[in-house]
Amino acid sequence: MSLKGIKDQTYYEVLEVSRAATPKEIQRAYERARETFAVDSLAIYSLFSEAEVKEIQEAVEEARRILMDEELRRSYDQAHFQTETEAATEAPSETREVPGEKKASLAFSGLLFNTVREAYRGKDLKEVRERMGVEREAISKETKISMKVLEWIEEEAFEALPPLVYLKGFLKSYAQSLGLDPQKVVEGYIHSMEESRKK
Amino acid sequence: MIWTIGGGKGGSGKSFITTNVGVCLSKLGLRVVLVDADLGGANLHTFLGISPPALSLSDFIKKRVAHLGEVLIPTAVPSLQLLTGAQDLLNAADAKSAQKRRLVRSIQSLNSDTALVDLGAGNSLSVLDFFLISDGGILVVTPEPTSIENTYRFLKSAFYRRLRHSVSSSSVKALIDGAMDRKNEMGIQNPSDLIRRAMGMDEEDGQRMAEEIETFRPNLILNQVRSKKDIEIGFSIRSACQKYFGIHLHYLGYVAFDQEVSHSIRRRQPLVLENPGSRASQCVMEIASKLAHSHKKSTPLQGYEPQGH
Repeated sequence: MSLKGIKDQTYYEVLEVSRAATPKEIQRAYERARETFAVDSLAIYSLFSEAEVKEIQEAVEEARRILMDEELRRSYDQAHFQTETEAATEAPSETREVPGEKKASLAFSGLLFNTVREAYRGKDLKEVRERMGVEREAISKETKISMKVLEWIEEEAFEALPPLVYLKGFLKSYAQSLGLDPQKVVEGYIHSMEESRKK
Repeated sequence: MIWTIGGGKGGSGKSFITTNVGVCLSKLGLRVVLVDADLGGANLHTFLGISPPALSLSDFIKKRVAHLGEVLIPTAVPSLQLLTGAQDLLNAADAKSAQKRRLVRSIQSLNSDTALVDLGAGNSLSVLDFFLISDGGILVVTPEPTSIENTYRFLKSAFYRRLRHSVSSSSVKALIDGAMDRKNEMGIQNPSDLIRRAMGMDEEDGQRMAEEIETFRPNLILNQVRSKKDIEIGFSIRSACQKYFGIHLHYLGYVAFDQEVSHSIRRRQPLVLENPGSRASQCVMEIASKLAHSHKKSTPLQGYEPQGH
């Protein structure tokens, strides 16, 4: 991809995903972009002006809004990519990466670090699921987690939830089915549960 | 192949990585020369447990010795040699393009498969040129704002210098010089604005600049990583560079923070030899194997022709 201002980039380029990206991949890319271009992100320190960061943040949010909605995405694609040839040339860099540079190659090869906790609320999981257009029932079928437990997780009915050892397993499966980082979700959810109990 | 290790900040681990990656590459069967070109304080010999060498590149340049091979210092590792004194040729005050080319030719003429050049934390034009001339430039950064800020400063300077060399029109050259100052009066805030403006002035030059951006592929190593979140910073830096410069920064890998690193430096022994099972050693080995793989493909990564000032 050549140098384009953020306003000239397609939503796929904004999120650095391919035109064929699945909702899971888009959600993951969105989360990464949101972290990268957060105001306090180390990675953008001293590089962008405040106005540029704001512009990118807005583009990232808009890209997610359009690409996570099946209808809106279809209309967007129709308006922006008239032919398949054009679509192919628009494929962003992520699809043309040098072998060995994929994220997996930098996988966390068994090294132990202190993981920084991030809050992951039930409503966040619900929002991601709804944005992906996935019914709770489908998640239940895929993960074998009962509908009731899924509802308790999303509604944060902490008192009704099963013991921690089971809850962690459920959260992990739920996160995986949404294409989210299971460890982040488990730790974030437990963290927000503990915070809520303190209050 | 010549790899240059630069950018960032003093203390980010460039010399440690140069030495230890060099040892790993030689263990992988390559003939390696480590070149010390750190203007701020050349001390690769200390990382290798060698006394300050009596002979340096200057002795060859000043014809005190007949062959360049005579100034190469052997190390405890077979097929790993050290060349010191390269910083004298990169001295900012008088380095001419001929001298830079001479240094490259000298390194290329050595009987080796790969050279790793430690450029130190310098930001002078000569250092930038050498970074750009090499087959692959590697930035070493730690997950701290000071290190990241310095790395971006280095990268911006290298980026604009590369663009400047690619154009022929003096007015576009002047435009690039002006754009390097963020507070310029031309309203050019970022490389994207610059390309747009250059296209308007001279389409051919604008096109050349766009091509240069496509082929500029520096590498990144994140050092002293303490958490998963730190590892992610490498990917974020890659994204930030894509958005800001339009370049594809190759995230070569990360090195875990490890107390064993400072212990090995104190003992003046390469960590990968002394403690190959340590976390940091494993990370360095992974990076070295990627470089060895690039070496097999033998594709120059940056495609930059050295020119005068």
